Amino acid sequence: MTINCRGTMAAAAVVLGLTLTACGDLTQDGSAGSDSGTIKLGMLAPLTGSSAAIGPYMKHGAQLAVDEINAAGGVDGRKLSLTVEDEACDPKTAAAGAAKLVSASIDISVGGYCSSATLPTLSIFGKTNIPMLIPAANSADLVAQKRNNVFLINGTGIQQAEAAAQFIKESGSKSVALIDDNTSYSADITKRTDKNLRADGVRVAEHQAVTAGESDYSGAVNAVLKAKADFVYWTGYYQEGGLLIKQLKAAGYRGRIMVADGSVDAKLIQIAGKHNAQGVFATMTQTPQTIPGGQAWVAKYKKKFGSEPGPYSTQAYDAVRVAAEAVKKAGTTDGQALTAALEKTDGFKIFSGPLKFTPEHTLSAGGFDILVVKDNGFVPNK
Amino acid sequence: MHHFIQLVVSGLFVGSFYALVALGYSMVYGIIKLLNFAHGDIYMLGAFAGFTVLSVGAGALGGGLIALIAIMIAAMAATGTFGVILERVAYRPLRSAPRLSVLITAVGASFALEYGIAVAFGPNPQVYQIGVTGGTLNIAGARITYAQLAMMAIAVLLMIALDTLVRKTRSGRAMRAIAQDPKACLLMGVNVDRVIARTFFIGSALAGAAGVMAGAYYGKIDFLMGFVIGLKAFTAAVIGGIGNLRGAVLGAVVLGLLESFAVAYLGSEWRDVFAFGFLILFLTVRPTGLLGERVTERV
Amino acid sequence: MNDESTPRTMEAPSAYVRAVEERAPANVAPAGSKVGTFTDRRAALAETASGLLASRWLALGLAAVTLALPYLNSSTYVIQIAIDALIFIMLAVGLNIVVGYCGLLDLGYAAFFAIGAYVSGLLSTRYGWPLLATIPVVVAAAVIGGLVIGGPTLRLRSDYLAIVTLGFGEIIRITANNLDFTGGPNGLYGIPDFGAFGLRADVALYWITAVIVIVAVLFSSRLGRGRIGRAWRFVREDEDAAEAMGIHTYKVKFAAYIAGAIFGGIAGVLFAAHQTAISPPSFNFLWSALILMAVVLGGMGSVPGVVVGALVISLLPELLRGAENWRYLVFGLLLIVVMIFRPQGLLPSRTGEPRRRGRQSQGGRP
Repeated sequence: MTINCRGTMAAAAVVLGLTLTACGDLTQDGSAGSDSGTIKLGMLAPLTGSSAAIGPYMKHGAQLAVDEINAAGGVDGRKLSLTVEDEACDPKTAAAGAAKLVSASIDISVGGYCSSATLPTLSIFGKTNIPMLIPAANSADLVAQKRNNVFLINGTGIQQAEAAAQFIKESGSKSVALIDDNTSYSADITKRTDKNLRADGVRVAEHQAVTAGESDYSGAVNAVLKAKADFVYWTGYYQEGGLLIKQLKAAGYRGRIMVADGSVDAKLIQIAGKHNAQGVFATMTQTPQTIPGGQAWVAKYKKKFGSEPGPYSTQAYDAVRVAAEAVKKAGTTDGQALTAALEKTDGFKIFSGPLKFTPEHTLSAGGFDILVVKDNGFVPNK
Repeated sequence: MHHFIQLVVSGLFVGSFYALVALGYSMVYGIIKLLNFAHGDIYMLGAFAGFTVLSVGAGALGGGLIALIAIMIAAMAATGTFGVILERVAYRPLRSAPRLSVLITAVGASFALEYGIAVAFGPNPQVYQIGVTGGTLNIAGARITYAQLAMMAIAVLLMIALDTLVRKTRSGRAMRAIAQDPKACLLMGVNVDRVIARTFFIGSALAGAAGVMAGAYYGKIDFLMGFVIGLKAFTAAVIGGIGNLRGAVLGAVVLGLLESFAVAYLGSEWRDVFAFGFLILFLTVRPTGLLGERVTERV
Repeated sequence: MNDESTPRTMEAPSAYVRAVEERAPANVAPAGSKVGTFTDRRAALAETASGLLASRWLALGLAAVTLALPYLNSSTYVIQIAIDALIFIMLAVGLNIVVGYCGLLDLGYAAFFAIGAYVSGLLSTRYGWPLLATIPVVVAAAVIGGLVIGGPTLRLRSDYLAIVTLGFGEIIRITANNLDFTGGPNGLYGIPDFGAFGLRADVALYWITAVIVIVAVLFSSRLGRGRIGRAWRFVREDEDAAEAMGIHTYKVKFAAYIAGAIFGGIAGVLFAAHQTAISPPSFNFLWSALILMAVVLGGMGSVPGVVVGALVISLLPELLRGAENWRYLVFGLLLIVVMIFRPQGLLPSRTGEPRRRGRQSQGGRP
């Protein structure tokens, strides 16, 4: 006992000594903006884990913007560089990745996919005043702490839920079933849609949550049929969405189906089966596939990376462009100056429309459209 | 009433998938007392093996049930062989090592399989181009598709074949003997290594068959698809009495039914809580499982 | 494997048999009270002293390096992953009590980690408690969790214990995900730290974490060497013999399980302070498996080994970062290779355990 007690006390004494003499970079966060040299962008994206499929879409989207801007001479002659770290949709991995980006002294963060993994990164980027332009994660919790360095480029759950409730109401549905995958992104949208629908007097007959990564959703399907719902809104990702549509149709469901932006992917149609997916609606921010002239962008992306863009390719692309624009306006990469420049941004063209941030740092115009599946893709619903 | 029957149908269908995977778990545990954590991933491997065969020979095979069965046999051969290799490389060298070390290798094999497939096929889900389609049958107001019936029939046939193999053949007798006393078997001239390899082959082949069935029925496969079903099959095997093959099937059906009703009455999000909560309660009341024999441990 | 059906030759068989036959409630003595008589005390003392010396120097050296780290490199990234690693060490050392000392296979250890993180997170964000004040409540909650889950299951066979603890881990995670009170899938955010004390916030947290973890490691090592530790090892080696020799195995197993729970709970508090935001995905089965891997990789029952194992498991994925999917593939393969060529772990348990003279006990450690 004595030996170890002494050991512990010695350790404690050492700590005390060290603490007293601690100085320099141990006492303050170093963050220095600059007005010359490379502008370093950092991105956290899921490269492993359950959402590993999305990472490359984001990475490529951002890289495309970086290459375009550099080819055009950069920002005031300064080149952009992009560093991508894995977040694995896991909070711990994301936090370590964020710290790695901070240590690599990035100037702006243009990543963030899973909301629950992005939350712990806020304080890490926040301590060194690095502005965050979050292209995918869009839970309202991200801006609830009112950190002034956090900006959401993606439409939020609030806006998507409004668009969804509006469309469901207009479709004249009598009984609605909401299904999410019990992740923050998805549950946030169903919860808000539920609230909006009830406020509008539309009956929400069923609210189910399924487990992502499984294959059999007969439980949810049975519940929808039992509740005699005539409108199903799925807010999870396409992997499960495709299966859900297939299983709903196989079980004889004949009502309308709508999916949220995470499910807007050609794979949804493949998984559900082309005949099952026809006429499925979707709430989606504007994308190159749906806006006039966007096809040229898709062609550029395909030429460069040999594959179709996917979810959040455009938002990542826009995040880089907005970041470059902010540096141009501020004339420096100092965090505070960039934040001020971002807050003042007005009318910069991005895929979802002219950009202007609300006081909460979310998009003022969510730009959610209703799309519908036609043949092998999503087209705007007329 | 028809809702009740619907829940039973859903439960039985899911249960038949659990059963095919649980059988492999239980067989391996019965013989060498190893919790083969990678077993769920062999199910995944089966799905991908089937997918590969399908994309190479899609034209020649055509569609429909016959093609499915051909693909399934190919995938079963592939996963069975892989199971044998896995046992030879990762488990056999550790047969006399502490039990937990083998468990760790199993977890390592599980990681390696999952991410090996992710590297080979990419992390995106793959879509099976073969589909079992067909009409819907109504039984007392409950819907069941022909595809579901076909899947359940295949599962039942495989289980009957396995039961016959284990109970009626020489090789099955050797397996049962090893489960009881491997040392005595060695003394009696049974080639223990070969029988264990055979057990891995059969267990892995069954999981591979289930993987192809899942791919064909659900249409989507991905590299993490084995994880959840692995846990559930493990649970099913324990409910039935781990090591007991008929018990594994019974446990799987019980688990499938329980989950189906839990979803209907508690909501999908509480399904796994209910399944595992029931398991804990069940083990407190009947720790040896439904069909497990009373064993005095380690004496 | 489970085929060592021959009686062990640890003690004269006749005494062993007599003990079993005469077993009555009266001679089920308090935990571990008779274990000391097994060895020649003098030899044991000499052994233990040298063992202590060896591990004392190792421990002090490691502790000094740990505490000096911010002077060597204080980049945000290094501090971040160093705190991650320290918390992981705490978890591994806690699980080592359950699995390494007592031989109970726990596949749901992350549950206690979650209980600790959520209890302190809830109290600090919803009710404004300072984080330090939440620790006693966390300990109480972890003990209650341990009682609820350990009570019915510690009487079961070890394989069943594995699945029950696994189920328990999933229950805790899914429940936290489903309840609004716990923040649902997004969890809790804005969790305060312990205070900065004039330092950079992450460096201050690093030193606080380092001190707590060092104390925990030393404490667990003491536990393992003490009377209860010997009882645990005995139960691990042969539960029936231990029971026959008068150890109340159920109580002893319970003590290990509860001790592990408390370590896990406190690690959870540190994790909450470190991450500032906690959510259910942090407490999934993968975590429980990784902690278990650290214990087994390092050498079950050996505190220095487990610390090294925890360092390897928590830092390896970071070193392999950027290799994307390859890193888990390599990780998995590495585990198989290490287990085949060094199944007793990197630093197997040697010190602290009374050396058996002459007659070694038969069969491997479970």
